[in-house]
Amino acid sequence: MKQFMMIFSGADYSDLGLSPEELQSRMQKWFAWGNKMEQAGVLRGGEALTPQIRRVSGENRTVTDLSSAEAKEIVGGYYTVEAKDFDAVEAIAQDFPDYDLGGTVEIREVMVFDK
Amino acid sequence: MENQLIDHLFRHHSGKMVSVLTRIFGLQHLDIIEDAVQDTFIKASLSWRNQQPENPEAWLNKVAKNRVLDIFRTLKTQQNNVPNINQGTQSIAISELFLDSEIEDAQLRMIFTACHPKLDARDRISFALKTVSGFSIKEIASALLTKEDTIKKRLLRAKQSIKQQQILFKIPQGKDLSSRLESVLEVLYLIFNEGFHSNKKDKLIQKELCAEAIRLTQILLKKEITRKPKVYALCALMCFHAARLDAKTNTKNEILDLKTQNRCLWHVPLIERGNMMMHKAIETQTFSHYHYEAAIIAEHLKAPKFELTNWEKIHHWYLCLHQLQPAPINLLNMAVVCLQKQDFVMAKRHLDNIKEDNLQQRAYLFYATKADYFVQTYQLKKAIENLNIAIKKVSNTLEKNYLSKKRDALILKINS
Repeated sequence: MKQFMMIFSGADYSDLGLSPEELQSRMQKWFAWGNKMEQAGVLRGGEALTPQIRRVSGENRTVTDLSSAEAKEIVGGYYTVEAKDFDAVEAIAQDFPDYDLGGTVEIREVMVFDK
Repeated sequence: MENQLIDHLFRHHSGKMVSVLTRIFGLQHLDIIEDAVQDTFIKASLSWRNQQPENPEAWLNKVAKNRVLDIFRTLKTQQNNVPNINQGTQSIAISELFLDSEIEDAQLRMIFTACHPKLDARDRISFALKTVSGFSIKEIASALLTKEDTIKKRLLRAKQSIKQQQILFKIPQGKDLSSRLESVLEVLYLIFNEGFHSNKKDKLIQKELCAEAIRLTQILLKKEITRKPKVYALCALMCFHAARLDAKTNTKNEILDLKTQNRCLWHVPLIERGNMMMHKAIETQTFSHYHYEAAIIAEHLKAPKFELTNWEKIHHWYLCLHQLQPAPINLLNMAVVCLQKQDFVMAKRHLDNIKEDNLQQRAYLFYATKADYFVQTYQLKKAIENLNIAIKKVSNTLEKNYLSKKRDALILKINS
């Protein structure tokens, strides 16, 4: 078994004008998805990220503070799962709730180093 | 693991929080309050993904209380006239404002504000759905079959009127109460009708609007000051109508009249609830038009088959309604009832009393009913003439097709 990361990106909820009703139904979909992974015993971890961004880049260590609206697409969080291969993770990612909001799931394999 | 939250918890709680926070900070800060509340739900939607709190309502209230301090800070940095908490809320501690009875009190204030007669009639509905019911602009637009931009304008205009007219966040007392309550009931009934009469494919939003109107009416019934017979009557009326919602259209979304509706699809618990409400509504000497309208629909619901409808009683209630609130549509309805009773003399008398102009977009119904009268009294040529006018005046395609079919059948009959 290998470890994979599912990295979620897209617009931040606060920039989409979602109603309380929509937020509740999305939240319940996320909850159900997390539960499903947990019951399948594949979930290893994960975090959600707040939308503030501070970017440090380049030789001069240039600092920029960005709001989610300026960045348009930001990483909102990730899950780490255990699976056989990319195809298996792709199957898990089918239940990601925010495709209809233009969200993306990027699947990456966690590198294992020889001991 | 328990993962089922109460339906619409966020939506309903949003209305509660906006109301309570408005009570603390005042209507002039409504924009900041709405943003703060929205933020709370975004936070909840993220943090509840993995673990839902044991008592979600308490969690939301706690966050809302913390918001109070945030809002204070925002207002202070904006140098906006910051209210004195002690004064603004008559020295009630903040946490006490989050007790159930105080939340209900704040909601009632918001309902009275949203339905204030000084606001434009159309703005009231949008504003109530936003602040009291927690609908988003998009949801209001889709429920009212209007553009989002139009709704935005209405909300803005409502907020401006509140400022300009210096509308207070209060429950009216004494003499004012009765007329202001009238205005509230009118708005709630309009919200209900938007749901009940819209012929949208999306049945869900129809039902949500109807349910929301009933829920708001029940908030009025919870408080003694607004627990009046006519409020019970409106609630009964809504329950009775809502009971027929599933039977009102067929699978092709075509409207079915009472004659063709499958009465097994009528929702019995709602009828029972309506009956209960009606029981309380009639503990009075003076009946409102809601009383009579509820009585009419109750009479329809009582009949196990269309053929067993008690037209006599229905005609009586229409007469009462017409006496209280004369309107051409009542005359038209009475004419229809008389045709069912085969009382053609009376039917003609009602029809003759109607001035077509007063019916506006419902004028086609007048000509369609006249056509029915002429069919039943064997004057087929006149019937066809009237159907032609009706077809010209009707805008809904489904109804147009229905009337055209009827006319063509008559033409065939004459020629054969």
